[in-house]
Amino acid sequence: MRWVVLILAAAGVAAAGWVVWDRVRGPTATPIADFSAPFVFGRFAVPPDNAMTQEAFTLGRHLFYDPILSGNNEVSCATCHVQELAFTDGLAKSPTLSGGELDFSSMSLANLLWGQERFFWDGRATSLEEQALMPIQHPEEMGQDIDALMEELRVSGSYRKMFRQAYGSVTPENTAKALATFMRLLISSNSKYDQYLRGEVRLTAQEEHGRKLFMAHPDTKVSLRGGNCIDCHSQFLTSGFRDALDGFSNNGLDSDETMPDGLMAVTGNPAHKGFFKVPTLRNIAVTAPYMHDGRFDTLEDVMDHYNDGIVVSDTLSPLILEADNAPEAGQGTVGLRMTPDEIQAIIAFLDTLTDEAFLTNPQFSNPIEGGS
Amino acid sequence: MRPIIVISAFVALIAGWFVLNSGQNKATPITLTFHAQMGDEPLIYDQFIYENPGGQGQFRVRDFRFYLSNLSFGHGGETYAEPDSYHLLRFDNADSAHSITLPEVPLPSVETVRFLIGVDPAANTSIEARGDLDPNSQMAWNWEVGYKFVVFEGALQVGEDVSPLVYHVGFSENAREVEFSIPAEALADGKQEVNLIVDLAKLFDNAALIDMQALPSVKFNRTDADALADNYATMIAPTF
Ligand code: HEC
Ligand code: HEC
Repeated sequence: MRWVVLILAAAGVAAAGWVVWDRVRGPTATPIADFSAPFVFGRFAVPPDNAMTQEAFTLGRHLFYDPILSGNNEVSCATCHVQELAFTDGLAKSPTLSGGELDFSSMSLANLLWGQERFFWDGRATSLEEQALMPIQHPEEMGQDIDALMEELRVSGSYRKMFRQAYGSVTPENTAKALATFMRLLISSNSKYDQYLRGEVRLTAQEEHGRKLFMAHPDTKVSLRGGNCIDCHSQFLTSGFRDALDGFSNNGLDSDETMPDGLMAVTGNPAHKGFFKVPTLRNIAVTAPYMHDGRFDTLEDVMDHYNDGIVVSDTLSPLILEADNAPEAGQGTVGLRMTPDEIQAIIAFLDTLTDEAFLTNPQFSNPIEGGS
Repeated sequence: MRPIIVISAFVALIAGWFVLNSGQNKATPITLTFHAQMGDEPLIYDQFIYENPGGQGQFRVRDFRFYLSNLSFGHGGETYAEPDSYHLLRFDNADSAHSITLPEVPLPSVETVRFLIGVDPAANTSIEARGDLDPNSQMAWNWEVGYKFVVFEGALQVGEDVSPLVYHVGFSENAREVEFSIPAEALADGKQEVNLIVDLAKLFDNAALIDMQALPSVKFNRTDADALADNYATMIAPTF
């Protein structure tokens, strides 16, 4: 009998000790060493002070879906970034808290580890950590005071625990880091195009025709037909380029008179007027409407734009202005001047970029209602 | 008497080690700094200030960049080749310059420098990201064609008319080798930097004289690409 009591007492002390220890020790995060990404996506960089860990991902996922992040506790990141829509919101322009609309269309969140290292249409954020706190504090997006948010999070035992395990304390910096980690791991790499690149499936004749056109800058001198998409949307990622500001461009949406500043607002360089972030085309079939202001409803509209709707301006990409499949000079319109079959082929190729596994991956879904 | 012998043997050993070691491991630091110019002046972007060399009008430069690869250094009969040597040279910065630094070329000094303008055939047909080669970059045509070696984009203004200029030169046969010697005094007394001029004017006004109005773009036409490659073959020269 004495023994039993003694053992129970010892166990009790050990358990209490563990509970105390678990609260005071540093974070116990488990590094995510081997997430899968195709090697053709190329190099990426994770900030050295924000290694990707399982615990950071879990915390980031909770924060992303939790309306507690907004001032009125009604808007979460996922309000405007919906998984089934490749983390866009299906609207031309995202709604504001006061019932109007923002200047911009929501952006897809996929493969953010690659491509440009600047975020937002005009590239004003230079890291995902910097980006993550901006919508929270934006008066018309989530309208939240960051210190008030920290108070709210600290009241919750489960958030205190998730922060402790991932980083330590509940701070704005750690909030940003966790959201950034969740977003970095939103990797889309199982579309039909990926399967084709891995040699697992064949493209149909039409998709293959579209792929070839996507990947070619036209040259009438050697009878090469092309859609020149690859001049700005990279061949494997389909996003803009990573180096310096190469991933920003003017694709002929507006005239000099009506053109918004775009990247120029960030760099101050007039040569960047009307430049916007070249977006990824992965899952493009589900992210309508298109362009920074959601002006095009369908991919047909987008293709009509590139085919004969280019608006000429001083900073228009010379690659767009010069890319023409018709040998004789155009009359009044500027564009690729492809045939209807060629346009349909490019759209068929764009459809191969839809990744159902990504759009339905339970790990990316809302952990608060139902999920785990 | 004994301790002195032991100590002096020890000193001799250490001194000898230093002498031998420094001779064997001698490494030379070197920086190659490339200055983009149009003729004798630093390159200026985005202004219609340059004359169409072979015809009418003025042109402006929006983008100029190229691959420099397979950099190697010689000293006597020895050579050292930089591993994964693929550099993208771009000049859209305040100094219109681009530097390549090798902190330790394992040669006692550098007498000759050799590199390619362009990319060697093996790397050009691969999708591996090595050095500055990146198949998801602006320099990639697509994996079936390979890389653009030299890119020039801009516009030509003739009267009121502005038209695009696009010169993209690639294909393995258009890589051109550049080789030059460095006079001994250029790297003496701790000097480590060699300056080179990249004269963009030579791309259009060299063996072939280009009228930008008649030939506003070069992409996949082999004859045109070859002509521009012969022009850029001599656009880089060291200055001492
Ligand atoms: C009210 C709708 C809305 C909410 C809420 C919202 N976003 Fe966004 N998001 C947008 C819009 C619109 C853009 C493009 C805005 C721009 O460029 O100015 C965008 C852009 C982004 C980008 C840039 C993507 C890229 O490729 O550059 C990231 C990352 C992002 N949001 C993450 C988040 C996170 C994290 C949250 C929650 C903390 C969040 N968003 C909340 C609408 C929203
Ligand atoms: C000169 C560079 C350039 C070329 C060439 C180009 N694009 Fe784009 N593309 C952009 C830019 C920049 C944007 C974003 C523009 C904006 O919203 O202001 C964009 C946007 C898009 C969008 C809308 C994406 C979204 O999320 O809203 C689609 C679809 C698209 N491009 C497809 C194509 C296709 C297909 C081709 C080839 C026929 C092509 N692009 C050629 C630069 C280019």
